[in-house]
This record gives sequence, C-alpha cells and structure tokens, in this order.
Amino acid sequence: MHEALVVFRRELKSYFLSPIAYVFGILLISVLLWYSTETALQNGARASTDGFFTMLPFMLILFLPGLTMRSWAEERKLGTLELLMTFPVTIRQLVFGKFAASLVYLGCVLLLTLGLPLTLATYGKLDWSPVLGSYFASLLFAGSFVAVGMFWSSLTRDQIVAMLLSLVSLFVLYQIGNPLYVEMAADWLPAWVVDTISGASPYKYFLSIARGVLDTRDLIYFACFCGFFLHANALVLQARRQRG
Amino acid sequence: MNVSASRSRQHGQALTVVLHVVLLLCVLGQIVYLASRYRARVDLTSDQLWSSTDSTRTLIDKLDKRLVIEAYFSPKEKLPVLYRETRSVADNFLDEVVQLGKGKVVLQRFDPNADKAITDRANRIGIKPLQLSSSTSTSASVDLHWQGVRLVYGGGKQKVLGAFTPTSSFMAEAIVTPAIKEVATEQKRKFGYMEWPATAIGQQQPGGIGWNALRTNEGISKRYEFQNYKDEDGALLPDELDTLFLFRPKDLTDRQKYVFDQFVVRGGTLVVFADAAEYAIGPQRMFSKIPLSLDANGSKQQLLSQLLHYGIDWKPKVLADLFQRTFTARDPREPFEYLAVPQLNNFGQQTLVGKPYPYFFHALAYDWRDAADDLARDDKTRQVDREAADSYRKRFGPGMPSDEFLFKAFKQLGRAPGFYWPTWVGLREKAGGVADLPEGVTGRVHLWSSPAMLAEDPPQSLNPLGTGADPIARETTLRTFLMKLQERLRAEPRQQAPLMCEVKGRFTSFFTGQDRPLRPSEIKEAEAKKAADAAKVDDPNTPVDESKPNPDEGPQPKGKATDDADGKPLAPEPVMLASGDKPGRIVMIGDSDFVRDDLVGGTYAQAGGPCSARLAQPFFLQLLDWLAEDKDLVELQSRSTTDRTLKFVDDTGATNADPRLAEQKLRGKLAWLRGLNIVLPGALLVLLGLCVFTIRRAQKRAFLASLN
Repeated sequence: MHEALVVFRRELKSYFLSPIAYVFGILLISVLLWYSTETALQNGARASTDGFFTMLPFMLILFLPGLTMRSWAEERKLGTLELLMTFPVTIRQLVFGKFAASLVYLGCVLLLTLGLPLTLATYGKLDWSPVLGSYFASLLFAGSFVAVGMFWSSLTRDQIVAMLLSLVSLFVLYQIGNPLYVEMAADWLPAWVVDTISGASPYKYFLSIARGVLDTRDLIYFACFCGFFLHANALVLQARRQRG
Repeated sequence: MNVSASRSRQHGQALTVVLHVVLLLCVLGQIVYLASRYRARVDLTSDQLWSSTDSTRTLIDKLDKRLVIEAYFSPKEKLPVLYRETRSVADNFLDEVVQLGKGKVVLQRFDPNADKAITDRANRIGIKPLQLSSSTSTSASVDLHWQGVRLVYGGGKQKVLGAFTPTSSFMAEAIVTPAIKEVATEQKRKFGYMEWPATAIGQQQPGGIGWNALRTNEGISKRYEFQNYKDEDGALLPDELDTLFLFRPKDLTDRQKYVFDQFVVRGGTLVVFADAAEYAIGPQRMFSKIPLSLDANGSKQQLLSQLLHYGIDWKPKVLADLFQRTFTARDPREPFEYLAVPQLNNFGQQTLVGKPYPYFFHALAYDWRDAADDLARDDKTRQVDREAADSYRKRFGPGMPSDEFLFKAFKQLGRAPGFYWPTWVGLREKAGGVADLPEGVTGRVHLWSSPAMLAEDPPQSLNPLGTGADPIARETTLRTFLMKLQERLRAEPRQQAPLMCEVKGRFTSFFTGQDRPLRPSEIKEAEAKKAADAAKVDDPNTPVDESKPNPDEGPQPKGKATDDADGKPLAPEPVMLASGDKPGRIVMIGDSDFVRDDLVGGTYAQAGGPCSARLAQPFFLQLLDWLAEDKDLVELQSRSTTDRTLKFVDDTGATNADPRLAEQKLRGKLAWLRGLNIVLPGALLVLLGLCVFTIRRAQKRAFLASLN
C-alpha cells in the first residue's frame, strides 16, 4: 500500500508540475461552464445543475484521452517504464497509483466548478443531495474512462495512437449507453442484445446516479468496469515485463 | 527449434491472457447482472422524486390477489419525440410497481402495431391510440402510437387507462396508484347529498343549476358513489350513511333541520357548501341577487341558531377581499378564473382581459402577521401606527393555517381554490375573539381571507361593469365600483373572515327539550285524525282507535309504526337522540358556487368567466379523500415538488419598479454571474500554475546557484 502511495504522490506531483495539466484543466472547465452557465443561470429557470452534468460526459470524452495518453506511452517512449519496472513495487500498485492520481487530479478540476451550484443555491432552492450525487457519479464515470485510457496507453508507444484509440473507444462506450441510440438499435436488434450492449456503457449508470439515485447496481458496475480495465492494464504490463 | 519453442510459449501465454480476460469478463458480467437483480437504492433527492410514496407501497403490500398490468405500448423509438420522455417515465414507474409487488404484480407488454389481434383487443378494451400524420414528398400516412394500460386484479375487476402519458414519476403514481386502489377495492365509498339548485336565468336548464359535474366526474365517480337523500317526507338518514353533503341549503323546514341534527348527533359528518345569497350570472353576466332564504316559511327554528348551537358562527354576509393578490388569476393567459372581459387588442383580435373584482377571491397561503406593519401604515404620511401593528400581529394569522393533507398541495401552490361571493363561516366566539365551542367539541378554521376584507348584507346587484356596452363607460363604472369599496375599507376595521371551518366532537341535539318536528306525512295524518276526531265528536257512537299514535305527544317510541299519506306503513322512527355516543363532524365551506356545474364546466369562459374547474376539481377530490380518511392515498394527493425557481431580481409586481430598469438590472447581474462562473475557476488554475512555476523556477535557480 505504501508503495502505491509513493507512485500516487509522484504521479499527482507530475500532474501539477506539468503545464499540460493546467491547460487541460482550464480548457475543460471553461468550455464546460461556458455552455452550462448559459442555460443554468436564467431568471425563472429551475435551480438545477442538469445542464452541467449532461455536458460533462461528452467533455470528458474529448479531454480525457489527452490526459491518459501519456500515462504509459510516455514512460515507454522516454524509456522510464523499464526503470519503473525495476522499482520495488508490484505492477498492480503501479497501475493503481497512476489511476488514483488521475482521479484525484480530475476531482480537483471538478471541485473548481462548485461555483455554479453555489450560485444556484444563492438565488434558488438547490437540492444539494443530487448535485453531490452527480459529482460522485462524474468521478466514477471519469474513473472508468481513465481506466480505459490507461489501458490503451499501455498497449502502444505512440501517445497519439493511444489518444485516438481512447477517443474512439470512449465515444463508442458513451454512445452505446446513449438513450437515443439505444432506441434506434432496438429497431433492428433483439431486445436482449440491446440490453447487453447498452448495459456495458458507463454512461447508462452515470445517468442513473446523476438523476439523484444511488443504486448498488451502479456502484458495483463502476467497480467492475474499472477493475477489469485496470487488471487488463496490469496484465499487459506483466506480459511486457516477462518479455523483458 | 528454440525459436519455435519460444513462439509456442508466447502463443500459449497470449492464449492464457485472452482466456483470463474472457473469464474475468464473464465473472464481472455475472456480478453486474446479479447486482441489477438484487439491488438497494437510496433516493438522494429531497422531494423523493424517484421513490414511490408509502401510499403505493402499502397498497401493493395489501394486494391479496395477483395484479396483472397489461401495457399496450407501441415501440418507443417510433413515438414522437414529445412522447418519448413519457414512455421512459411510464416504463420506470411500472417496473418499480412490479418490483414492489414481489411476485404479486405481473407486467405484460403488448405491441398493438405488431399484431392485428392485439390491435383489436386494445381497441375493444378502450386503449386510445395517438393518431399522428406523417408525410414525405411522395406519400402521407397516419401513424398510430399506443401507450395505454389495463389493470386486471385477480382475473376479475379491471381498469383501463386509455392513454397513460405521465410527464413525471409523481404523475405516473398519481394515475396508477388510485387505479390500483380502484380495482383492488371491493366496494366504493358512499356519500349522501342534498342539493338546492341555483336559478338558471336565460338558460335551458330545467330544474336549475346543480352540483352534478364534480360528483359524476370520472376520477371521482370511479372511487366514490353519491346518493341523493333529499326526501320530501323528511325521513331520518340511514345509519350506514356517514357523510352527507349539502349543496347550498335553503328554504329548510324544521323537519329537515331535525334530520341534520340527528345525523350529526349520531356521529355523521355533515359537509355544507354554503352561500348567503344567490347571484345569477346568466349570459348577460348581470350579477343580480335572486332572493334566497335559509329557513322555509313557517319554520320555527333558524338554521343559523342551530349551527351556532354546534359551535359554528355563520354570518350570512357576502365577503369581498380587496388585497390585490387574492383576486388575481394564477395564470395571466387565462384570466377568466375570476373575472375578465373580452376586448379587442391592437391587432384586432378578441382577447380576455382580467378585471379586478374583489368578490371573487381565494385564501392566500401567507401569514398576515408579517404584513402587520404595512397594514398599519398611514396612506398619506407613510407612518406605521405601532399600536395598530401590534394588535394586527396578535389578531391575524395565516390564510391557510391548516396542516391537513387536504391543504398541503394548495399551500405549495400558495393559494386555495377561488371562491365566488363567499360568506362568513367561522367558529362561535366569545368576546375578545376566543373560540366558544360546546363542551366536548373542538374546531378550527381552515381558510381565512386577507385582512383587507369587507363583509356586507348581500346587495341587490354586484355588477362591477354596468349594463352598457361602451368599453369606456364600463371602465368608468368599474373604477367607481372599486373606489367605493376602497372607501368603505378605509372606514372599517381590518379583520380576516373565516372561509372554511370544521367542528367535531360529541354534539348535543339542538332540539333537546322540544317536540320532534313532524314529517309532512305525519302532519297530514294528524290533520286527518283531527278531522276524524271532530267527526267522532259529532258522532259519539264511533269507537276510538287507540293504536294510532298522537303526533302531539312528542317523540315516538322505537318500533311503533305510523301510516304515510298513501296508506303504506312507515318505517318506525327512532326516538330523538339528545346526545350521541360517537363524535360527529361538521365542515362548513363558505361558498357553493365554485363547485357548481356552470362554473366548473366553464360555461362563462368565452364571456370572461368566472370558471373554477382547474382548482375546484382537485379540491373536491382531495376533500373526499380527506373526509373518507383514505390513508392509502393521503400521501399521493398531497405530494408536490419544492419550488426551485431562480430569482435573480425582486418581483417587479411587488415593488412597482419600472420593468425596463428591472430587466436591465437582471441582464447586468446575469452577465456578471456568468462571467464570474466561467472566468474565476480558470483564473484560479492559472494562478496556481503561476505559483508552481515561480516556485519551481526559484528552486531551480537556488539549485544552480548552489552548484556554482
């Protein structure tokens, strides 16, 4: 655990020392808030952060691959991965440390958007519980996408390839859970196939929590989803270590 | 050989990894599947938006037979966009009902568009498809979209919801749960009623205008049954009847009053929609008084004294409320809820324009103690009379003080249903405004007017607009009408008028110590007997029949029968009950017009109202549930969401500020808030980045300096 903490600290520090992370953070919250404040802050509208959390998953798809592409690909490119492998840490600890650092960094960025609900609470009766639930759901959703992004990053040396693979896979994962596309698919696919496919998308479970319902099914899904991709990530690195 | 072995080993490893991943995927998929079958959920929303109420849960728990929900739904993706959301809500709610049913509730889905037999069945049972036309450049067609539900309980009783299109989970529950209750309930709750129809001037309505529309409303008649107990011969009400409605009682005989007296003494609930006067509206909307007398000619007992005996003080006066918000329609687009007149707008189109008419008003969910200072402020000097303000704070109270579930939804709305020419119905009071109720009786006032209230004996005419057709002349008449009211208000002390009250407890009979009022048939019989006796006196040889009762001897012993006018034997009448064992209840509502057929039915909407349907209907339904103490549906009826409207500037209507200035202020504020919300987080990150960069640079310099 201590070793994982060391990796976590090192990764988190690298985020805050890198200008990319700042550019990423500023762009993400500016674009997100630009769109959502326009609809949320209107006289006579309902005090709700629905617009913000509707926009958030899509923005994460666009921005997260840029954040996760460097996690392993850069290490491989710079040759530091081999060095990392020689450290007295297990691969699982390495993967978990990097994953947790990304999540904490994203948490910090999301924390900066709290101004919007605070404004809404000042001028209307904002229901805080579902808002906090939505932040929690966003963190879980971001976590699942970080896990996917890290997995692709572990497969390739090229950051751009990793980013593109992440972008495509995240987009697909997002769309298969998008109610609009699920309905379209229901037209020409059997119901059980549609259910199985849409059931694999984190977006479906994000929507479920973001509406204000904390369901054990959704929590278990996110745990399994992240666990699967992190484990796959560890397997890829393990295979690479064994190959030398 | 080595290369081959190495490749084989690598393939083996890859296969192991793939197998490992596939197995893991299967296991995790199974876990997620099981998690979706056995799940626990917490609804985080403060209004419990995504949870069924305890009413629904209790009701479903109580089901002892299988409830089959047949959902006749055509495919969702083919529904028009507007209806897709309603499908999601409907699906979610029905799934939840099935989960709650734990096997007792079965959901069967049918697509009527997929099979002709299903289409026929859906049509036959009353599922109503939504017909929408669609066209392309070469063809035009009509598409049928189905979204109806049939509930079948225990294979027998059923209920069809022809079009089930809920826009929220609240709405879905409010539709489905009462329907489940309806099919699962063996017998409908019975209410009795008596009505004295209003005069229908210039209308083809034989028998006058009654209160039938609400009683026969589909949502009400499916759950409650009304039976007319208005008996010309004044028979006592049967024991099995526990609630009796009186719609605008008038011309009451002593016998009728005795019937009501014995009913409440016995433990019945009497609900009175009362009016002090009857004003005819008619096509011309003259608002002229039609004579109305509460007591019949020759009646010895007064209805007002009788009610006072039970603890109710009904002052037969007409009330007006001059506080503007009480007579302003809730929806400015539909001003006819109170009073409006048709006018031509700038484009030559006829529109309805709301007019202030203080005799049509509603109770406000507002604590009038908070307005004490404003009410005690002098109009000219703007000084507050402290003494008067303190007195107001002591005397005044909220317009809707009741916490009964009947009023919960209306409190959220901020107002009670609108009353038309209401009357004063309060509790009997001692000097100093202290309630003076009979022993063993409690009471409370549920609705109050604002303190800007005027009470007067019903005048001959309350027409605010005059009879002329000239709009300017009508405006002048209206202004004069309002000015006179304002002048009177200034001259009179401020007080709130009670608009609805309730007393309950063990009542004593108003007729104690008096002779029981006779039924008309008994009177006739007595007269006949007198005539026979007179004849006997003339002929002393005729024997006297001792078995015939003497009506002058007061209450008759139980079991003793008399004959009615037709010679048929009458049911034996119970002896007069001086005081009851069971607590009775009287609910007085100071208006009967708002639930009357013509106002509920929107007869005068085109002419500018008044029309009451929007709130009168839910009020009446909730009143029935409240009276029936239908605990199963209590929560459902009172369920509503918190108002979460954003208010960035003060209400311009309240402050009388220039709307352009307010608009400018709002725009400025919103622009500033948006800017702050967008720029501040980014600026904070930039600042953090700069700090980190500066520190790092300083550290680097210090390091290089140390090397040198």
